Amino acid sequence: MEKLSDHYTQRISLKSLGLLGIFSVAVMLVPLVFRDPYYLELLFLCHYYVILACSWDLLSGFTGNVNFGHAFFVGGAGFAGALMNLHLGWAPWLTLPIGGAVAALCGLLVGSFTLKLKGPYFAAVTFCFATLLYKWIMIRYDIFGGEEGLSGLDWLAETTTGNYYISGVIMILVVVFLYILSKSPFGLILRSIGENETASEGSGINTTFYKVTAFMISAGIAGVAGAMYGHAQMHVGPEMAHDSLSALIIIMVVVGGMGSIIGPIIGAYLLTLVNESLRFMGEFRLLIYSSAVVVVILFAPKGILDIVQRGWRRLAGQER
Amino acid sequence: MEPLLEIQGLSKAFGGLQALWDFHLTVNKGEIVGIIGPNGAGKTTLFNLITGFLRPDSGEVRFRGERISHLKPHQIVNRGISRTFQLVDLFQEMTVLENIMVPCYSHRARIQRKKGEKPWEIALGLLKEMDLLHRTEELAKNLAFGELRMLDIARAMATEPDLLLLDEPFSGLDTEDAEILSAIIRRMHEQGQTMIIIEHRLRDLMRLVERVVAIVFGRKVAEGTPEEILNNEEVVKAYLGEEGEE
Repeated sequence: MEKLSDHYTQRISLKSLGLLGIFSVAVMLVPLVFRDPYYLELLFLCHYYVILACSWDLLSGFTGNVNFGHAFFVGGAGFAGALMNLHLGWAPWLTLPIGGAVAALCGLLVGSFTLKLKGPYFAAVTFCFATLLYKWIMIRYDIFGGEEGLSGLDWLAETTTGNYYISGVIMILVVVFLYILSKSPFGLILRSIGENETASEGSGINTTFYKVTAFMISAGIAGVAGAMYGHAQMHVGPEMAHDSLSALIIIMVVVGGMGSIIGPIIGAYLLTLVNESLRFMGEFRLLIYSSAVVVVILFAPKGILDIVQRGWRRLAGQER
Repeated sequence: MEPLLEIQGLSKAFGGLQALWDFHLTVNKGEIVGIIGPNGAGKTTLFNLITGFLRPDSGEVRFRGERISHLKPHQIVNRGISRTFQLVDLFQEMTVLENIMVPCYSHRARIQRKKGEKPWEIALGLLKEMDLLHRTEELAKNLAFGELRMLDIARAMATEPDLLLLDEPFSGLDTEDAEILSAIIRRMHEQGQTMIIIEHRLRDLMRLVERVVAIVFGRKVAEGTPEEILNNEEVVKAYLGEEGEE
């Protein structure tokens, strides 16, 4: 019975935990090597996108209910945090968790109404909510500052290195939490919903409850990230609620590998760094970037993680 | 005898098609009831109505005296009715063990589990009964059709149902697999499992059941012992006539 080996994929694998450990240590050591604020700023962005991509993956990657409006939670919590900070003087250590709670509550409300329906309703409604929020920010410039957004927020940390460390710690906590959650019975049930929701329900599983809970967790984490981003930039703008952010998150997860939590980390780092390193290409950047994404999706429809895993197994001689 | 399931006046139409009309049935504890009928007679619709995947237009289903026709599928499973699916299409990208683990985390399975008992121990026990233990770590998509059928039955049994509904369990099986399945069904019957079996293949079914209900075009045309049904004129005309032409 002790031999519930590799193919019992639901097990927390020591290999993955080890890799996550190495990754965490590396994240912590980076500022000792790269002192240039430019790189730290860039890696801060990576942390931000990793949190967003992994949180999106929990619901959409596992259950197949595609959330087309993750930016709703990012922007919503970002602005909620900014308003609390500017008008009530609440510090980031308060606005981050409260921003997350506000987003989770929104996730609960939106999810309860839409996730019990099968079909494209969920995707459509999440898309609409993000668009509505974006428009609302633009229209009520007296509250949200319109296109300008809101500036003058308290900083997350005094220095770029500080921002880097705070975002890095939040990212590691989020990733480890989501990874363990994905390997728990909760994760198993989310996977079963993605595979065959009818059979899952026929197995006595209240699928709506699990989907809504996953959506709530997903939204809450995105909210924390949104508030964090606002304080790090000391500014929130309407682009945080824009569809292009939602789309970018989805692309990152698809490129990295859906339904794995580990894949989105790869996707988020890769796309953020590639996008930045192509800056010298000027106008061609978007063309090359988009083509690269299309190529990955064409040749690795299950994402880069799948390619890496298969290559690893072949090297280890386990390919069957 | 104690009636476990009582169906009264159950009707369901899809647009102009009357899939089931004024259907009555009582199933007692420990019984195996067979339901036969040509394709499209409304057999699977009946299962979908019992298990909450469809809502009836009229009539009601009572389980242990409680009205369950308004409940959701997972609530009905957790009250003790479990079913298999005609088109076996489980959790393809998950291992055999993981497939059985899903129902082990249902509310009913959690409650029935003894203290200290691990869900995967229950799952492995079920796989042993279905002779799938050697396939534990295989992905469901790599199983042969017969194995997939057994897996689906094991999945349905994981919630320890009081009533098990088998939707055409013999379809697509070769003679050997059909024999194995018959033996499993007999064993479950001896252990007191109440079952309703829908079947298109009469030969396998008739040897297992004590009581048969025949449905033609959504209406119950006969009910009785297997011999009575096989000699019933209306059944022969509607069903066996078609069978003879094959």
